[in-house]
Amino acid sequence: MSKLQKVSSIYEFLLVSILKPKDQYHLLYPNHLWSALWILLHSFMPSKTSGVKFSLHREIARLIGKHMEDVGAEVYYHKFKYRNLQFHPLCFFSSIPRTAVPQNSSACTLNGVSPVGIIRAPRGDGKESIVLVTPYNSENIKLNEALSLGLAYSVFSLLSRVVWLAKDIVWLAADSRYGEYTSVASWLKDYHNPTFSSDSGKIGIEMCFEKTENHVEEQSSFDGAAYDDFKRAGTMSAALVVKVMDKERSERDRVDIYAEASNGQMPNLDLINIVHYLAVHRQGLHVRVGTFGFLLNSALLKHVGKTLQRLTRLAESLNLGWKLGVNSADFVEGTATLASSMYYQALGVPTGPHGAFRDFQIDAITMELSPRTSLTNDNGISSFLLRSGRLIEGVIRSVNNLLEKFHQSFFLYFLTAPNKFVSVGVYMIAFALLVAPLPIVAAALFSSTANARSLTTISNNKPTNSKPVTRSGSWNWLHSAKLVFLVHLWALIVSLLPYFVSQIPHTNSTTSMLSWSLSSLLILYLLTRLTKSYVEGYQWEVLKSVMIAAASIGLSLMSIINFSTAQVGSILLVPMCLMVRPLKQPIQVPIFPAALLKILNILLAVVAFPPASLAILKGCLRGFESINIGDFWEWSEFLWVWNSATYLFVALVHLPCWYLCVHILLHN
Amino acid sequence: MAGTRWYWPLVWAALAFRLLLVPFADNLNLGSRPEVATPLTSLRRLAEGYWLKQSSLSPYTGSMYHGSPLLLIILGPLTVKRIESQPAHLCCSLIFVLVDFFTAMLIRAIGEKLMLTNCNNLKLLKPSKLVESFGGVDAADIASLIYLWNPFTVVTCLGSCTSPIDNLMVVLAIYGACSRIVPLAAFGWVMATHFSLYPGILVIPVLLLLGYGPDAPPPKLFPQKHSNGDGSLVHVFSWGPILQFALWVVIWSCYVLLLSSISLKGFDGLYDMLKKTLGFILTVEDLSPNIGVLWYFFAEVFEFFRGFFLIVFHVNILFMVCPLAIRLMHRPCFLAFVYITISATLKSYPSVGDAALYLSLLGLFANELAEMKFSFFLFCGYIGVSLLSPVMHNLWIWRGTGNANFYFATGLAYACLQTVLVVESVSTMLNHDRKLKKELKKT
Repeated sequence: MSKLQKVSSIYEFLLVSILKPKDQYHLLYPNHLWSALWILLHSFMPSKTSGVKFSLHREIARLIGKHMEDVGAEVYYHKFKYRNLQFHPLCFFSSIPRTAVPQNSSACTLNGVSPVGIIRAPRGDGKESIVLVTPYNSENIKLNEALSLGLAYSVFSLLSRVVWLAKDIVWLAADSRYGEYTSVASWLKDYHNPTFSSDSGKIGIEMCFEKTENHVEEQSSFDGAAYDDFKRAGTMSAALVVKVMDKERSERDRVDIYAEASNGQMPNLDLINIVHYLAVHRQGLHVRVGTFGFLLNSALLKHVGKTLQRLTRLAESLNLGWKLGVNSADFVEGTATLASSMYYQALGVPTGPHGAFRDFQIDAITMELSPRTSLTNDNGISSFLLRSGRLIEGVIRSVNNLLEKFHQSFFLYFLTAPNKFVSVGVYMIAFALLVAPLPIVAAALFSSTANARSLTTISNNKPTNSKPVTRSGSWNWLHSAKLVFLVHLWALIVSLLPYFVSQIPHTNSTTSMLSWSLSSLLILYLLTRLTKSYVEGYQWEVLKSVMIAAASIGLSLMSIINFSTAQVGSILLVPMCLMVRPLKQPIQVPIFPAALLKILNILLAVVAFPPASLAILKGCLRGFESINIGDFWEWSEFLWVWNSATYLFVALVHLPCWYLCVHILLHN
Repeated sequence: MAGTRWYWPLVWAALAFRLLLVPFADNLNLGSRPEVATPLTSLRRLAEGYWLKQSSLSPYTGSMYHGSPLLLIILGPLTVKRIESQPAHLCCSLIFVLVDFFTAMLIRAIGEKLMLTNCNNLKLLKPSKLVESFGGVDAADIASLIYLWNPFTVVTCLGSCTSPIDNLMVVLAIYGACSRIVPLAAFGWVMATHFSLYPGILVIPVLLLLGYGPDAPPPKLFPQKHSNGDGSLVHVFSWGPILQFALWVVIWSCYVLLLSSISLKGFDGLYDMLKKTLGFILTVEDLSPNIGVLWYFFAEVFEFFRGFFLIVFHVNILFMVCPLAIRLMHRPCFLAFVYITISATLKSYPSVGDAALYLSLLGLFANELAEMKFSFFLFCGYIGVSLLSPVMHNLWIWRGTGNANFYFATGLAYACLQTVLVVESVSTMLNHDRKLKKELKKT
């Protein structure tokens, strides 16, 4: 580590050496780039015509590119076209990114330019690289974004002169006018899928740029040669997204880590550990991961925590060898963090631009650095920048020395604190215990009906052949399977309907939701009418066992795709599947349990209806007056534009299971 | 029966469904799924082989193409033909839709033959029992509908691989043998063996079919019933068709080899072809993951044990041929189904196309297998495995959070399911025969 400190002192020198006012604006901050950006921004501020505004982001990109060139990096400009995220029913899990050519390539109004710089490692072979990403909004650059660019520039210029570098460093200054994720994702897509000049899509975007360029008088650094150049630096071993934030103040400089990528994927745990270790033990920063604030103040949770604390103390007093050490405050905080970690994984939507990297098997996290003082406070900021720079440098150095890929269990975990986690080996047991009753009950129901049937056939000796249904004993589940299949078919159609509903112009979420639900009901009605003769003659027990089998297959599949969704979903699905029985069917138990069972059944049937459960959840969190019909539409739109498998789970597993449960409840 | 009334609409609907999906086949990217396309059947590899041949190289150069040179001649030109910027495999997919239709019709014809003989046999045995035992479902229609609507078949048809043609040849051989068209049976058998080697063991059911005729209750029931010497009426092994079959097999084999050598003229010739097609199947050179079990095993095994285990795995199939043939001699079609299932489990490059074939042949015995145990378990298992397998593959290859064991586990589960299917169906069939015997005794 002494070497690291030495290097850091060089870095300090670098910062101090440029710590003086550079121009008439009396900029106090230690960075050429930062100040230059600020000047640029202020000089363009008064005139807000579209032409000037257009060239502003170009100017910023060129300025960053020039600074990159100055430290000896290879520079190119990545251009991308903003494409609105849409519902692609066939693109779930397709790891090959969409290469669809945009239909209207004439619409060139939306595009961005991200400068990219690459430092070639003196000790590397150019086959591996580390990526540093700083998103900035080129249309409306804020002080904190300028600072993060400056910070990245300082680290970049330091790294350009170190000798220990074994992996190339790529700095992507992502133009985040259309969202941070979009620009990073399109850069990654172009990085991994080389497009050739014959490809029509690329030609479209090139023409696009050439056309718009004609409006700009000066285009010295955006000449044609720079366009075709897409420089690469081998496999990316890790990526860091660095952002300086100006949020609420705390007593120490703080790092917020965001790690959740699409469909609950997480980066290698070691990346989080490195950041946590270096931030806490070397730089004295405070590290936070996502937490649910409302859970921290929950009285119930505090009570449970205190009870647990007392119980563990009791247990420890009984046996001194046990070191359980449950602390009430830790418990509450851990639970709140765990809940947030599970929530974001279950949602399946990435929590930041780092999510784009995980789709290419690259470990990435977003670090949000927030100083304890205001961004305009000179002393506070320079020490904050120094620490943050050292932190980034340390992380890059650690990744630089890393050689191999870790075991897969390092990717499957929940965070309970920045340095604590629940591993797959632990949480899978709980889930397996939760889901295990499903196949057991299905088998029990199935075999009991099969036994009953064979008994009746033996006692009758001459089975009545009036219905072919009752003939074959072993295959009588086929009639129930037909119904289950039909319901799943309906659910598939329902899950694809939003594609058509969203094509209707001039609709808001309420009308979309209404048309979605009405068309679903219509299709359900048509399907049941058309196939009335086909789905007859099933017993509800067999239907229940087939339904449970379908639900358990769905849940176990989902637990592999996105564990958190399966866990959350199973909490609703498992009791509903296990308890359901026809309301009109008498049972041989005392009146009170029977009534309780009925009430619970009805309650679950109401609560487990996806829109209803969303409404209840929203009502509990934000008050019941905020509930709107269009909520469910907005929520599912949010899920499908991010290709979240949670949408598929709700539509293809949860919804048919709920419908079949209601069907059984109303069975005669 | 509802099945009969809706039969033709359902057939046309199945074909329309395929035609509807053909333009989207490229988006679904089925051709690159290891479950659908194997190194032997992949149409991409065929296109590569065709390209090599066009540029005056042997199509077996490198390790890309391992199929028959005849397929190269028929399908090769279609892989490069494009119709108005449609995907390149459109023509081939249309041909596969037709092939699927023919296969389904042949399966139906086999089923009708089986039902006819079944009916005759039962009449011979005891006319009064006819109604009860024969009052079941129309197995022929069901089997062909299973073939057409099975998701495995649909996926195989759209997935640009040549499995539909292999399946057609197998079904052609069985059909030819059932209806005693000896040249057709020999042609189907020779072509199927030429394409994928494993149907070679079907020679036993085909010979039994030619010798004894289609499936019947056990022969010992007949003497019981017709004890006056009439029993010999049904079961006489006729040698005439067998000799004809042998002759035709020789003719067709020579013809196929001749055509192959003509098509490979100027390259390494027939020996190279046999080495690159049959040798490739037998030595399991390609260890890329598939739904079978051999790739994992041979990736792990030490090099000097390789030869030994290759023999063990292939003899495994041959071991089961004789006992099953003796026990199921009176039901050659069912025997063919069992052989196909076993070879689909243990072959070196299995795909869901094989499963599509044997599952529809299973439908032919819907009446006999009505009492089959574990049917629900098998059904759920097939659905679970076929959904789980792509997810595990994604986890391993694309996300990097799983490993090969995850994917192999589904392959293992799939092999177990197939084993259970074979065991259960054979035991149910034997039980069925026993029940028949018991009922005959009672009267």
